[in-house]
Amino acid sequence: MLVDTSQQPPTGPRGAGTGATWGFAPYPVVVADPSGGVVGTNDAATALFPGATAGAWLQDVVPAWIADAHARLRSTVPGPRNPGSGVLVHGPVGDRTFEAHPTRTDDGDVMWWLVDDTDRRLAEDALKAERERAAFLAGASSALLSSLNVERCMEVTAGLAAEHLADAAVIVAPPRGRKVQLTFCGPDGVVVHRTVHDDVRQLPGLGEALRGFPPVPSRWIDPAAVPGWAVPEGFTEPVGSAVVTPLPGHGVPAGALILLRSSGHAAFTESEEIFARLFASRAGAAVSAARMYAEQASITTTLMRELLPPRLHAVHGVEFAGRYRPAGRTERVGGDFYDVHPAADEEQESLVVLGDVCGKGLEAAVLTGKIRNTVQALLPLADDHQRLLGLLNGALMNSHHTRFATLAMASVVRRAGIVRLRVTSAGHPPPLIVRADGEVEQVRTRGTLIGAFWDVSSTTVRVELAPGETCLFFTDGITEARGGPLGDEFFGVQRLETALSQCAGMPAEAVVEHVQMLAAQWVGRGGHDDMATVAVTAPHHAHLSAVNGHTRGRYTG
Amino acid sequence: MTTSHPPAFTLTVDVQPTALVIRVGGDLDHETCDELMRAVDQNLPGAGLLELRVDFAGLEGVDSMGLSTLLMIRRRTDAAGVRLHLDRRPRVLDRLLEITGTLEHLTAPRDGHGGERSPGAG
Repeated sequence: MLVDTSQQPPTGPRGAGTGATWGFAPYPVVVADPSGGVVGTNDAATALFPGATAGAWLQDVVPAWIADAHARLRSTVPGPRNPGSGVLVHGPVGDRTFEAHPTRTDDGDVMWWLVDDTDRRLAEDALKAERERAAFLAGASSALLSSLNVERCMEVTAGLAAEHLADAAVIVAPPRGRKVQLTFCGPDGVVVHRTVHDDVRQLPGLGEALRGFPPVPSRWIDPAAVPGWAVPEGFTEPVGSAVVTPLPGHGVPAGALILLRSSGHAAFTESEEIFARLFASRAGAAVSAARMYAEQASITTTLMRELLPPRLHAVHGVEFAGRYRPAGRTERVGGDFYDVHPAADEEQESLVVLGDVCGKGLEAAVLTGKIRNTVQALLPLADDHQRLLGLLNGALMNSHHTRFATLAMASVVRRAGIVRLRVTSAGHPPPLIVRADGEVEQVRTRGTLIGAFWDVSSTTVRVELAPGETCLFFTDGITEARGGPLGDEFFGVQRLETALSQCAGMPAEAVVEHVQMLAAQWVGRGGHDDMATVAVTAPHHAHLSAVNGHTRGRYTG
Repeated sequence: MTTSHPPAFTLTVDVQPTALVIRVGGDLDHETCDELMRAVDQNLPGAGLLELRVDFAGLEGVDSMGLSTLLMIRRRTDAAGVRLHLDRRPRVLDRLLEITGTLEHLTAPRDGHGGERSPGAG
């Protein structure tokens, strides 16, 4: 590299070769005449260039980059007071690097001042590399954190690693059984996913890395030991060096990163390995976050499937309809629940249960699931509501907390067009009945909530529904929905009764839809608690006796 | 929870020689019930304490978690041998206690009906 020099070292002595003033200079100084013969050197120069003595040819005793620069200088016309006509040159001497500054002596000779800049250059290179790495890591982090998709994270990791750290990169996901999921990125930058059934222990250090043990230095991995399945297809040259480093996750390893370089490239240095580890720790955090999210999402989906309220339909000539509106905008399950357990035949009673667990969100949903399962198991005892509730209460009792549930249940059967219900409340708002003429009445059942005391009691009330009449079960999310003109008023039982009085003669589906719609309008855009409603309706005309409600049943008149 | 600002929850604890008086104002719900529980836990059992009076004169609303907290307080007072009183209950609280069948249990004297019993006794 040729650089114009603006700063000149002090001009040389009058008598070249006398060593008068520059002989003891701490910098190597070589004086040569225009024809390239060495005129003199100082001690520092002799130490650096042992053969450089007066009379020797410059080209024989100094590196070519100085001799060439000297030859170029010769061709420039020296001016008497133009000592700085030379340009500084730069090059290696042995394992160090020097800058050489030429100055002209009064005699027309050229004096070469050599300055050792090895350390400065190393520092500059290191600083540049460090800046590039910091920028790379920052870029890698933002690229990795922008996705919660595991595959995408693996692709980004493989791509970045292959582009910046090695010729090719392979991400090994934690094995599941014998299957190992690999993500390759070769020198061409193309990312490929592949599943192999090979033993990860074939590659030295990979088994350990997948268990989170410290990385294996590349010099310990024999390139010949890298198995074929760990090399991307585009990687045609032989593997020259390999690094295996864990991708540390949250507690458990998120996988391992294999970096490969072809034999044509330099092996990994220690600082490159450390840097690869830094990169791996960021990539690991991102991959592991994405994997945890994916697992959580899958768990939630599985749980939801069990906890979602069922679709209700007509059973043995009685209409059942349910609506559920969870409190959270993002949640689909909550603390309210309902179920209809159809009887084996139309002579027997079907059981409808609607309830409310104290609390919200997933915790409440899990307790809800427990109650629904327990009720299902206790169905053979459903004839005796008090006994069923007593057993359910015992199953829910817990000495650590007082999370309780309230529920209303009814055994329902249709006889000669009349729907007969035995209704029991366990600490739950009693259901409402809308008669054919629009009159609304409360079912006078009362009882203790369950899950808080060892002894519970309740009363069961018998009611009958003529065709077109409905018994509505609801949770307090409906009556305690806050809204209205000022946004702070409860929907209340009174408004619910008024709404219901307009539902005389309506099918069950229409009743729950109407009630939920009015409550939703009352709340407006404000927050609300879980809201659940179930309608049990005696149909108007000749009843359809479908076994499961999906197929057309027979007319019994 | 609501579009308008719900009434602020207030709690004052008054430790008297033989009685602990806690005054509750505003909404006792899933957001505030922990504060009441903490206030009870910090003062129970107290030396010479015979009764806990929770004064609901300022109560505006109560939800199921609020009721759950009252049930837990009843367990604590029973265990500590302290008599629980729920004073100056507004209509909204009484209605909740009636519907859920808990009024008698919460307000009964300690050895009265509806108290804590072992599973065998039920």
